[in-house]
Amino acid sequence: MDLDWTTFILEIVNFLVLVWILKRFLYRPVLEVIARRRTQIEEALSEARDTRQQADTLKEQFEGRLAGWETEREAAHAKLLEEVAIERQHLMAAVAKAMDEEKAKRKAIVERQQQDWLRTAAEQGVAQGQAFASRLLERLAGPELEAGLFGLLLQDLAQLPEQQRKDLAAAAGREARLDVLSAYPLAAEQRNELTAALQAVLGRELPAGFGEQPDLVAGFLITVGPWVMHANLRDELRFFGE
Amino acid sequence: MEKAAILFHLGPLAISSIVVTTWGIMAFLGLFSWLATRHLSTDPGPLQAMLEGSISAIEAAIKAVLPQGGEKVLPFIATLWFYIVTANLVGLIPGLGSPTAHLSVTTGLALLVFLSVHWFGIRNEGLIAYLRHYLSPSPILLPFHIISELTRTVALAVRLFGNMMSLEMAALLLLLVAGLLVPIPLLMLHIIEALVQAYIFGMLALIYVAGAMQSRTEINHEKERSET
Repeated sequence: MDLDWTTFILEIVNFLVLVWILKRFLYRPVLEVIARRRTQIEEALSEARDTRQQADTLKEQFEGRLAGWETEREAAHAKLLEEVAIERQHLMAAVAKAMDEEKAKRKAIVERQQQDWLRTAAEQGVAQGQAFASRLLERLAGPELEAGLFGLLLQDLAQLPEQQRKDLAAAAGREARLDVLSAYPLAAEQRNELTAALQAVLGRELPAGFGEQPDLVAGFLITVGPWVMHANLRDELRFFGE
Repeated sequence: MEKAAILFHLGPLAISSIVVTTWGIMAFLGLFSWLATRHLSTDPGPLQAMLEGSISAIEAAIKAVLPQGGEKVLPFIATLWFYIVTANLVGLIPGLGSPTAHLSVTTGLALLVFLSVHWFGIRNEGLIAYLRHYLSPSPILLPFHIISELTRTVALAVRLFGNMMSLEMAALLLLLVAGLLVPIPLLMLHIIEALVQAYIFGMLALIYVAGAMQSRTEINHEKERSET
């Protein structure tokens, strides 16, 4: 239990020296490395927070962009539907127009066919009428009919309009001759009467020649220069048929 | 407990085995610290992890008692713990004795604690504010404060000395009475006691220092209590 003053004082000094040694070689380095690590951890945490914030920002941006894309997609879809509807309307209109045109074409074809049928029927009717009239007139042809036609010829020449008379006179020329063909032989009286009627129409005398042509069936074929007058059944029936 | 042997004289100073043992402990701790902290990195190995764990635990204990200004007292308190633990355990090595089993050593440590209490208190609070807490809550209590300061310092010294000395003496008596291997369980108890006594000494020193550094806060608390 003795108190050794030398030991007491030296122990105090020793302990203070030990405090300095440990502070210099142990506490300070270890605390510094702990502080450095804490700083690094804080920096890493700060970087992680920054990274997380950036990630959140990017996430928000991408979500916004996705929402924009969704809106854009819906708008494009709506526009597409609208365009499809418009195109459908155009196509329907085109189809309707094509159908109308086709109908009109069909209708025109049908009408033309009907007209063709009608014309064919009319031609057939005319041809049949011509054949019937030809057969009938051929059976009726004879001197009596010839005399009737001669009367009609004289009547027509007498009623010829003034302008047509002038045209005939101009067309006959100075050196023209008068040729008359008949289905039956004309009597001298008839020849004189006809010559006089023609000279009255032309306004001058021309040399006249008469002949017979049985295929005229009945009637006359009068030629004055370039002018030909068909006053016979054959040509009348042919004109009727045309 | 017999008086420590004088090994040699250094001028007028008689150097005892206790002082030499303390130098050995200082050399060991200093060399170990220097070697262990030469290549510290932020990616610690096992030794660095142990050192960091120890110092972080001490730092946390100090911060629990002294939330502000703990870094000022860390070197003193941590050195108390390291030195007393090492000094207590040195007695287990055959041929060496624990320095803390001598009253000269524990008294020196207790005196250092006594002085450091006032040193840190005045540094932290200022001289007037620090001295004023001796008059709180009433100047009548000043003698009791002074007696408390002295007795707790004496108690610190005697507690550590008594425990370590009695353990060594009990082991010696058992060795003399029962034989060579019988004191081994007592030596195991010595290890536990060495750690516990170091912890108690350092913790009490920390509480005393923290009390001095927070004397103004204590006065304010006492005023609030008296008002309510």
